[in-house]
Order: sequence, then C-alpha cells, then structure tokens
Amino acid sequence: MAGPGAAERNGEAEATAPTFSDVLRANQGMVFSIAYHFLRDRAAAEEVAQDVFLQLYRSFEELQNGAHAAFWLRRVTSNRSIDYVRKRKLQAAVALEDAPEPSVSEEPGDPMLNRRLRALIGSLPETPRMVMILRYQEDLMPEEIARTLDMPVRTVKSHLQRSLAMLREKIGRSMGDIR
Amino acid sequence: MEDLERQLKNALARKDAPDWFEAKVMASIRRDGGVQARRPALRWRWASALAVTVLVIGGVTWQHERMVQERAAGEAAKARLELALKITRVKLQRIEQRLNETERDN
Repeated sequence: MAGPGAAERNGEAEATAPTFSDVLRANQGMVFSIAYHFLRDRAAAEEVAQDVFLQLYRSFEELQNGAHAAFWLRRVTSNRSIDYVRKRKLQAAVALEDAPEPSVSEEPGDPMLNRRLRALIGSLPETPRMVMILRYQEDLMPEEIARTLDMPVRTVKSHLQRSLAMLREKIGRSMGDIR
Repeated sequence: MEDLERQLKNALARKDAPDWFEAKVMASIRRDGGVQARRPALRWRWASALAVTVLVIGGVTWQHERMVQERAAGEAAKARLELALKITRVKLQRIEQRLNETERDN
C-alpha cells in the first residue's frame, strides 16, 4: 500500500517553491491526523495543528521546498503533540473512543477493529505511540522516523517491535488471532 | 506485509482536517501579523520604561553625591573652625601668661 510518505520518497514532491497556502492545503490533513491519532482529542489536535502552521508561517522562508516543508511539519507536529501531552497531562483516554471521530472519505478495513487498534495505540507511552503513527499513518521507514524524532534507528525499530508484539497479544486476546 | 500491519495502516489512515481549518489558520496568521505590527509600540514602551528607570537612578545618585559633598564641606568647615579656636586659645593663653608676668614684675 503506497502511503503518503511513499510519494515524497519517489520524488513526486513539488520541485518549485510552493506558497504558504499550497503547503497548508497539501499538509493540513497530515498535520491534523498526526496530532489527532496521537492526542485522540479533536479540539486538542486542532489547537496543535494550528500552532504548527503558525510556526511554519514564521519560518516559511527558511524552508527549501515542499518535501522539506513536509519533513519539517512532521517533526514539529510530533514534538508539539508530545509536548502537549506532557504539559497538560492529557491521557489517551479510552473514554474518548465514544467521541465522534473526524471524517475520513472512506475508512478502509473493519471499523470496529480500527477503533480497537487506535485505542490500543493511544494507550502506548508517548514515544512509541508517535513512532507507530509515523510508521503506519505516514508510511515512513524506521530511518525516516529516526530523523524526524531525532533518535537512533535501533531505538525506532525496538519501539516498533515491542509495540507490534503488545498489539498482537492484546488484539489476539480480545478479537481473535490476527497474524 | 502482515495482516496486523495492514490493519494498522487502515486504522491510522489520515483523517480530513475540518473544512474551516484553513480559514482559521489564515485568520490566526492575520491576527499574528497584527501582533507583529504592534511590536514597535511595545518596544517604545520598553524604551520609555528604561529611560524613566535611568532618570530615577540618575536622580537618586546625584542627590546622594550632593549630600556626600555637602557633608564633606561641612566637615572641612568644622575642622577650620576648630583650628581657629585652637589658635585663639593658644594666643589667649600667651596674653594671659604675659599679663601675669607683668603683674609679678610690678
């Protein structure tokens, strides 16, 4: 499955200098989704996403092109989301599972399983949670996640392995064997 | 790819940002631009506050210096007066001594 990160890796990112509005329009879903999947709170995700784009506006001239802007946005959104949780002690609450989720054109797969997986990812500690979001939402490779979160690749791989093992065990226990 | 990983990609598919999100960001940027434009006024306010502080400190220092100088001048005047009194006392003692000698000779 070709995720949004794959297109950038294939060099399909804009070569000409995009305007701020272009970057905002092209990346708002990505920024909002990272924040939403991490925080599991729509209002908090909107707040973080808005702050990220305000910061982008202030440093827009320093960004070289669309691909650099996307990397910058992922990095800043990840850091801002983690900071948001640490400052506000916001827990990825299972209760929020009942809250209405933002629209997605066509959610693939089993909606119940998707909700269960999102809840389990929401229960992970901050760093592995962000690693999982960047891996499976953004389709980034461990090396790209390592660059985005400024951590060693082996740490990223370790987070991924441990998180997958935990998910496999919990999902297997509650919803049947998925391999 | 394992089924679990495929399911994770499904579960973590990107969500659409709210329809009004772009307009809200642009409105925030306009407000932020207003804040930037107001910054020079804020700078002037800081400069004024700094000038007032410098003036107050300067005034207090000047007053203190003046008091020190006045006290030094007072001390010097006192010393001169004491010296004058000492000279006068010595002279009076000599006159008294001469008068006593004159009376004894007579």
